[in-house]
Amino acid sequence: MATPLIEIDHISKFFPGVKALQDVSFSIETGEIHALIGENGAGKSTLIKILSGIYQPEPGGIIRMEGEQLSHLDPLTSLHHGIVVIYQDFSLFPNLSVLENITLGRFVKRGRKLVDYKEMRKVASKSLEQLGVEIDLDTSLGDLSVARQQLVAIARALANNAKLLILDEPTSSLSSSEVDKLFEIMRSLKSRGISLLFISHKLDELFAISDRFSILRDGRYIGTYGENELDDDQLIALMVGRQINYTIYPKRYLDDPLLEVQHLTKKGNYKDINFTLHKGEILGITGLVGAGRTEVVKSIFGLNSSDEGSILFEGKEITIKNPTDAMTSGIAFIPENRLSEGLVLRKSMRENLALTILESLSNSFGLIDQSEREKIVKEWVARLEIRPDNPDLLAAKLSGGNQQRVVIAKWLATEPKILIVDEPTNGIDVGAKAEIHKLLRSLAETGLGVIVVSSELPEILSICDRVVVMRRGRVTADLHCEGLNQEDIMSKAI
Amino acid sequence: MFKKLRKVKELPLIIVLVVISIFIAIVNPSFLTVENFLDLLKSNLVLAMMALGMLLILLTGGIDVSAASVITAVNVILGQTLMHVTQNILFAIVVACAAGIIMGLINGLLISMLKIPPIVATLGTMSMILGIVLYTTNGNWITGIPQNFIDFGRIVILPRTLADGRVIGIPIQVVFLIPIIVLTWFVLRHTVIGRGIYAMGGNIESAERMGFKTKRIIIFVYSLEGFIIGLSAVAHTSIMRQVDPNAFLGFEMQVIAAVVLGGASTLGGYGSVLGTLIGVSIFSVINNGMILMRIPTFWQKIAVGLIIISSISVDMIQKQKEEKMKVCVDVEGEELYAV
Repeated sequence: MATPLIEIDHISKFFPGVKALQDVSFSIETGEIHALIGENGAGKSTLIKILSGIYQPEPGGIIRMEGEQLSHLDPLTSLHHGIVVIYQDFSLFPNLSVLENITLGRFVKRGRKLVDYKEMRKVASKSLEQLGVEIDLDTSLGDLSVARQQLVAIARALANNAKLLILDEPTSSLSSSEVDKLFEIMRSLKSRGISLLFISHKLDELFAISDRFSILRDGRYIGTYGENELDDDQLIALMVGRQINYTIYPKRYLDDPLLEVQHLTKKGNYKDINFTLHKGEILGITGLVGAGRTEVVKSIFGLNSSDEGSILFEGKEITIKNPTDAMTSGIAFIPENRLSEGLVLRKSMRENLALTILESLSNSFGLIDQSEREKIVKEWVARLEIRPDNPDLLAAKLSGGNQQRVVIAKWLATEPKILIVDEPTNGIDVGAKAEIHKLLRSLAETGLGVIVVSSELPEILSICDRVVVMRRGRVTADLHCEGLNQEDIMSKAI
Repeated sequence: MFKKLRKVKELPLIIVLVVISIFIAIVNPSFLTVENFLDLLKSNLVLAMMALGMLLILLTGGIDVSAASVITAVNVILGQTLMHVTQNILFAIVVACAAGIIMGLINGLLISMLKIPPIVATLGTMSMILGIVLYTTNGNWITGIPQNFIDFGRIVILPRTLADGRVIGIPIQVVFLIPIIVLTWFVLRHTVIGRGIYAMGGNIESAERMGFKTKRIIIFVYSLEGFIIGLSAVAHTSIMRQVDPNAFLGFEMQVIAAVVLGGASTLGGYGSVLGTLIGVSIFSVINNGMILMRIPTFWQKIAVGLIIISSISVDMIQKQKEEKMKVCVDVEGEELYAV
């Protein structure tokens, strides 16, 4: 058998508290279209970043190219070896011409001092010719459609003598005819002996174009399969099934509507979203990253105004134009990145806790009632068991789980009826996760309606009573969680 | 409007220049004389040179508000060198350029190494330089520039004697302007670092990913601008024959206004040498027209402010629009490029 183009040999990558990749090994043959598949957080991006030299793998892991070990990959040497990543944003220059976008990198790479426009033209027309597309070299890149910009990015890769082209969700902003054209180009590159590593969440596309699939789950390598070895269901079954032992809370049937979202639509975000949250219920919203989940909940909180549709609160239609409207209606929202968006790290726990209720604490002169604040802060520190229970402590000094509690307390102090949390347990350890789950659950039992946006299916199945699944900006399923398993959800999400 | 001009490159700017010129010429026919043209050239030559330096800075997405104080300082250094060190003109030019480069280098290092935002870094150096200038000059004019330098400044190329006996011609100072035009054009158009200036102005992350050393580029552009300012100081002093420490108060705004009039974006990445020269021309023709039409000069300042603010507003509105147009989610069943 011929030497594969790339051999990934026992590659691991650890971040503090997270094992992003654990002992992954597989190879990519010369001239094949290889799909890399996995849920959000399965380790696909980490692997790409290792291949492109942005991350260094843990000692012991080896990447070989055509049999030769590549040591100490950095972004430039990786490019030198012909490993080219086309990111979703293409990394192009809108203010430069197509010509320069394709060829400038060659000049930099070779340490040239002067630009030779004749040579540039030759190289650029050759790469476009190889792609079989015609684009005016003198057009400014910013004037091209996204699909054509992508072709320019691929042409640039060819001008850099790419041997492995990594395409990160290349079809996500293309129309169907543009996708067909892209696939045609991918096949012609393959016939020229270029290998493609293709990342996509669209099953039909994966099956249409890929020769082989490699599957990652939870940072681990699951296997590599030929195109005829798997069908949709088998693929989904291999992707999901993260083994995390969370407590499975009893699934309740509640029927007192608290929040009703009807036909909510926003162009380029989501379309015709319908769901109902009941009193005391935990409703999960799940789907792959980019499905529009966060966009929907941000609209409910007034951070992303919708174009059409209505939101009913306790049966009455409400208008939410900004977060203040939402808070007045009794809606609280805890954003995804709790550290950067939810806490003022350099302020004390006390100040953070009281941030949302400053107005109700202040008297007619706008001065803050210190003793009232102290009372409320103490109450929440005790109710949520925040440790250590010293309100003077800087928020930055708290552990991840306790920071999350402060953020939750901060919002609960506004006495909301609905709490929306986006990826509440992202980046914290398993023990802290379980505690957050317990907390959310006990809050729901007091009658609070909770919406949990999460990519982590075990988390959804652990705490939610019902789950809304989104795919490409639409709701594809609205399910009760009783007896539900991960495959059921994933088959609607992908 | 500015965005459109940018797309069709410099042609619309030329049209604007011609239309304004025709308008002024109709109101005041003396505008169209060779004499007035030569005056215009002489009095705006320094603006043109400094604008080319500022163009380099704006292209990277930076700004230099210390430019006027740097030229003031170099003027003082040049005057002192000529009066107390040597009367050798060539030596004085070298000293002036070196002084400009050093001050530019300091700006460049502050911005690239300490990552101080350009406006803050150059505001700081501006204040410091002005303080030192004030300390050394007490705010007094430096007079008594050696005669040989004054004579040098009076040389005209292709002299013509007018009927009334006066001699007019192309001022010698164009020998500073023309090399600067050629130099900036060559650097921006034909060197890899020049294209890197555009690249980092367009998308700094991608430029770094591509292998451009953006820190070096920043140090390079501020130093090159310093060099250009050094030469501008020589041109200026040879025209004025004395050094006025207050001559350039607020001049940096005129420079920036002229460059953005020429189609450069304050966000970086857009602008050209030709556009900048046309921008300077439009700016000076308007100024000249105002003087010929006896419009009070405070209107000039108001106009400069309006030009800068409206141009930046256009950039910002455009940026916001682009961000709004950005599709977050590839929604199923939605036409992607209907908008």
